[in-house]
Amino acid sequence: MNKQKKPPIPISGVVYGEIIYWCTCVSALVVLFGTIKSFLEVDQTIPVEYLLNAVFEGRSVEAVWGGSLLQKSPDALTYLAILNSGEAITVAGIAFGVLSVGPAIFFSAAFMWRSHNEFFAVTALVSGAFAVIAPFVFFLL
Amino acid sequence: MMISKRLPELQLLILCTIGCYIFLELFVASAALDGLFGFTGVDIIFISFLLSFFVAIISVIAGVGGGVIFTPLMLAFTSVDTLIIRSTGLVVAMFSGLVASGPFMRKGLADIKLVFLGALPILVGGFVGSMAAVSLSQHLGETGDSIVRVALGLLLAAIALVFIVGGASTEYPEHVERSKLATKLKLRHMYWEDTLQKPVKYTVHNVKIAVLLLFAVGFTGGFFGLGGGWAVVPVLNLVMSVPLKVSAATSGVLLAMGNSAAIWPYINVGALIGVVAAPWMLGQIIGGIVGAHVLSGIKAALVRKLLIVMLFLTSLKLLSRGIEGLFNISIPFI
Repeated sequence: MNKQKKPPIPISGVVYGEIIYWCTCVSALVVLFGTIKSFLEVDQTIPVEYLLNAVFEGRSVEAVWGGSLLQKSPDALTYLAILNSGEAITVAGIAFGVLSVGPAIFFSAAFMWRSHNEFFAVTALVSGAFAVIAPFVFFLL
Repeated sequence: MMISKRLPELQLLILCTIGCYIFLELFVASAALDGLFGFTGVDIIFISFLLSFFVAIISVIAGVGGGVIFTPLMLAFTSVDTLIIRSTGLVVAMFSGLVASGPFMRKGLADIKLVFLGALPILVGGFVGSMAAVSLSQHLGETGDSIVRVALGLLLAAIALVFIVGGASTEYPEHVERSKLATKLKLRHMYWEDTLQKPVKYTVHNVKIAVLLLFAVGFTGGFFGLGGGWAVVPVLNLVMSVPLKVSAATSGVLLAMGNSAAIWPYINVGALIGVVAAPWMLGQIIGGIVGAHVLSGIKAALVRKLLIVMLFLTSLKLLSRGIEGLFNISIPFI
């Protein structure tokens, strides 16, 4: 019987997928660590029981954070300032997974360029730049 | 061979997650939360994880993102703030796609050229959509929430209709005429079809229309915190004539990428509560890997029918809650 050959798989895709896959696994471990720390902390900047109560009571975002020790809604910089707290570590873990998209696109774009797909390498670069810049847009506004 | 043995990282993740929750249940004194049937904070986290795990599996079988199930149900049946639900919905929609990107790319199922073609419109659309959501919530408060519920109710009914009409989706679409732009961009590819034991070739069509549609999908996903798997697959399959399997895989990769920009406006106003989103994220990662590897043999048609019924019922509930909020009236029986 005529056995057909499997088509080659583009290396740029594999590079993108692998970077995202492993970064997501690492971010899951960071999130787990943050969750445990949230519940074990004694002097809590953001008490986890309070947060859960306030969220499930249906309070607005402003009211949830207004009633905590922070007294105002945190932005990305606030989380960086309290990075030793469980809640901030959890959000940082999620953000790490999200941010892995940027470098994955850039590495993939390099392989795209090498395989003479210049148009897609450029669209990838522009998309990667947007993914990396998006978190900082608010500091520019 | 068992999937967890083939994927040691999955084994480690499952062990760590279950170990973490057992540790919290046994060794952390957690008080019962108000109005939640005596459940403690730790119980809520564990229940959220289990729900997310099953939502991930169902969404993989049905071929939609988890956000389509999570966000409408939470908006319809809980009193949690809509911004918090929508930011968590984006996490739910994103992480199963992020973790599935590896296997999809390794198997050559997701088309990287299509991903990079659709990336920018979906990234920009998602970002603008979530900015609009935050702005609407800050300026209109409760009224804004009611408007969101009514709009999402209508959108869900439309999604259910897309699923019904989606019977028109074809496994291997064929086009006689060639698209000039697609030919210029060399948008032709092939993938190995296991069921046929042969490679399947395809060429892409209607590139310009698809790019516009992907922007709209990104905006809707970012605004409602839904993701948009329900819409990207039809765009790729019905508009661009991409085979169904490649459409589904490419859609997962594309959405995870698009939502990565949409999440930032929510994080920046404090709408992403880590302790609430964490179990949903973990459930999506583990459920997403398990769903993608194990459940290909399950009858997807039955799951999709159940999903259509769920979407219609949830849309009714959302419409009634939205109308009640807007006009200050009470609608009985719903």
